[in-house]
Order: sequence, then structure tokens, then C-alpha cells
Amino acid sequence: MSIEVKNLVKKFGDKTVIDNVSFKVNDKETLAVVGFSGSGKSTILKLICGLIPKDSGEIITSEGDIAMVFQYSALFDSLNVSDNISFALRERQDLRKKYTPEQIKDIVVQKLELVGLKGIENLFPSELSGGMQKRVSFARAIVTEPKSILYDEPTSGLDPISSTLIEDYIVRLKEETNAASIVVTHQMSTITRTADRVIMLYNGKIVFEGTPEEMLRQDNEYTKQFVTASLEGPMKMMEGKKDE
Amino acid sequence: MGTLQKYYKQSATYKVFKGMSETLVDFLDTLGKITENGIHVLKCILKGQINRKELIYQCSRFGVSSLPITLTIVGMTSIIVTSQVALEMVKQGGGNFIGMMMSILIVREVAVIMSGFAIISMIGSSLASEIATMRVTEQIDAIEVLKVDPVCHLFIPRVLSGIIMMPFVTILAAAVGIIAGAVTSDLFAGLSYMAYFDSAWLGIYMKDLWVSLLKAVFFGGTIALISCSCGYFASGGAKGVGLATTKAVVWSFVAIVIWDMIFAIAFFF
Repeated sequence: MSIEVKNLVKKFGDKTVIDNVSFKVNDKETLAVVGFSGSGKSTILKLICGLIPKDSGEIITSEGDIAMVFQYSALFDSLNVSDNISFALRERQDLRKKYTPEQIKDIVVQKLELVGLKGIENLFPSELSGGMQKRVSFARAIVTEPKSILYDEPTSGLDPISSTLIEDYIVRLKEETNAASIVVTHQMSTITRTADRVIMLYNGKIVFEGTPEEMLRQDNEYTKQFVTASLEGPMKMMEGKKDE
Repeated sequence: MGTLQKYYKQSATYKVFKGMSETLVDFLDTLGKITENGIHVLKCILKGQINRKELIYQCSRFGVSSLPITLTIVGMTSIIVTSQVALEMVKQGGGNFIGMMMSILIVREVAVIMSGFAIISMIGSSLASEIATMRVTEQIDAIEVLKVDPVCHLFIPRVLSGIIMMPFVTILAAAVGIIAGAVTSDLFAGLSYMAYFDSAWLGIYMKDLWVSLLKAVFFGGTIALISCSCGYFASGGAKGVGLATTKAVVWSFVAIVIWDMIFAIAFFF
């Protein structure tokens, strides 16, 4: 077990965004979390990595770091690629004296090679394309050898070819790091190409849990509406509200 | 909801009191957050968690970048005041006191408070908008996920640079202000430089100097702390960045005026 969520509840004001959600993600496994905008997908990731406090329930994770890849990369725009990737190694209290500047330089080069980007150490985020920024954020996320990696809509805003590339890197990082991964996504290609299992959220509740193949079979009325992108079905768009 | 209650909630009295109570809650909330961050920053400084490279960069930004506008504002203020009073004082036989009056005015008040205002508009607003942008683009969330303390990382170099650089800026501003007063007195009232500076020295006491420098330390730290805090708690995209910047500027202005009043009462009353 690497990530286990039990009876998780999160409210923003009167609205229950996550309503008694439970799931498990094992090591070397990728779970895709899907659902309409406002269904609580990103909130789950923020709860797991401790960015927002939960109201009740349990989040149990294996010892070790949890990394997160943000929807818009969230690279530090005042730092170059090298400093972005090595940020945790240089600034974290428990790591700052562990590595020499030469070792940090080597780690940066190694992580950049892993995401297929060589020789861009001195460029700034504003000089990179969206896909490159995303891959740099992957490199930054895995620099501390995390046990779990959370991806918040990793292919959002990218062209189909860049999306495929990013999906390949999600698979590759899982193989390289053996980490438990959770991918929040709307994109069917990301689900089918990266996920071992899928859960679907609607109004903060899990309405489907299964494999990507089971999801595509459309036995469930929720997944059927999602996969066919239909306005007709149990999910009403207007009921959703943007996650806080 | 009863009819009476519904009617009451639509009344102007209810809206006025509701607005006032919301403003009060927001004021106390902001004050609490700034105080909490201030204590956190102090703890980190005492633990020695200081990024020297970033501190040097922020010092250069705080001191060097703000210097032209600060010196211009203090110099202009000195020219305005001197041009209005110098001729009149010479006519009334008080020409020998112009230098003394200007040195007291500039050293005790004008240099430090005008430097504060210039730094708020130049550096405070920039700090608030920078950190607010980091907040709304999830860069601060990324710092937290990487297990780096964002308050220590972002605030300490900025607050320390305010504390270190503001006294230097104030000293230079005071020098420029006094010199501008001398030039203006000469041009407008025909007062010699010798007479002006002889009188100016008589007006300055050591107490004035160190109180002014102590004020500068408090002003610099307060401006940086308030600006960083307002940016840190921003939310809601571009509008949130704008609101955070406005809040930082307004709060910093009010805070340094309050500090100024406290110093005036404590040391010169």
C-alpha cells in the first residue's frame, strides 16, 4: 500500500466537495481520477499532499515524499530550469547539506535526461513551451525520489502529440520510481494509456471504480455519459462548482 | 424567515452594520495573519534559516532600485518647504534658523517618512504583487509540496533586506534633503551655504539621528512584512493580485504612520 484514503470528507462552507470517499493505490500502480469540473478531483490531490486540511477521514501514505505535478506546471518563474529542479535539494532543511553543488548538478542533468530534455538547464520557464514546462515540472517532482506522485490534469492545454509524450513520461516515471501515482484527468487517452484503475467522482462521491476497459464498456450510466460526452444522463453540469 | 426579519435584512441600517462588521472582521483577520507571519519569520531568523544569496539580491532591490525615486521625493519635498518659508524667515530676521529648522524637519520626519512612502509605492507594491502572483499560479503550493517552508523562504530575505537597507536609504535621503534645502535657501532667499550649514548642525542631536534610524528599521521591516503577507494570502487570479497589492500599499501607509506616531510620543513628547 502506498496511498490509502478512508472515508475522506471535505467541505467548503456548506458545500461538501468530498463526501466519504475511500480508495487505495498500491506501489507501481496508477489510479486515474475522472469526473466533471468541480467534482472534487483536484481537491483530493490537495488533501493527500497536505495543501488543505481534511474535515474527517484518514489519509495513510507510505513513508517518503509525495510529489505533485501541477496543472499549469507551477515552475518558479524567477529561477532557471536547473534551479527549479534542484530547489528542494538546495532549500529543504533535511537535504540542503546532503548534496554538494556538483552532485546537485549531476542530479539535475540525470532528471532532465529522464524527461527527455537535455541542455536546457540555463533556460527560464518563460523560454519553454507548455509541454517542456510540464516535463521540467515532472523532473522537479521526482528529484527527491518520491514514493507517490500526484498529477493534476497533466495534459491540460497541450496539443495531442505533446499529450501523448506526457502520457508516455507518466508511464516511464512509474516504472523508474516504482511510485504509486494518481492522475486527475478529463482526457480519455490519458486514462487508457496511463491508468491501471479508474475512479469517477460526481458531486464528491465515487460513482464508478474499475479498470479503463470496464469504463469503456459503458456498463455504468455515469461512465457512459462521460465517455460519450453526452448532455443526457445522471450528471448535470450546472450542479458542479469550481473546487476551491 | 419571518416577514419582519426579511424586511429588516433589506433595510439600510442592516446593510451599514453588516458592511461595518465585515470590514472589522477582515481588518482583524489581516492583522492576525500579519502578526502570525511576523512571529514565524522571527523564529526562522533566530534559527538562522537565512538564504544569503537571496538576501543580497533583495537588499540590492530594496536599496538600489528604490534610491532614485526616494532621493527625488525627499529632495523635492525639501525644495518645496524651503522655497515657501526661507524668504519669509529672512524677512522676519530668522534667516539663521532656516538650516536648523530644515535639519530638524528632515532628520526627524521628512527623510524617513518620505523614504517609507517611496519604498511602499516602489518596493512594497512589487513584493505584494510578486508573491500574490506566486500564490495564484500555485508556485507557493509547489514550495509547500517540496517541503520547504514558504514563509521562511519568501519572507526572510525580503523582511531582512527592509530592515538592513531602509536606514541606509534614510541617511542618503536626509543628506540630499538638507543639501537641497541649502541650495534652495541660497537661490530663493540669498542665504549663504555657510550660514545654512552652521545653523543646520545646531539643530541636529544624536538622539534625532538614532531615533530616525530606529524608525527606519521598523518602517523597512513593517513594509516588507505587510507586503509579503498581503501577497501570500491572495486568492482569485488577476483580481486577487490587484486587491492584494492595494491592500499591501494601504496597510503599509497606515502602519508606518502609526509607527511614526508611536515614536513621536515615545521619544519627543
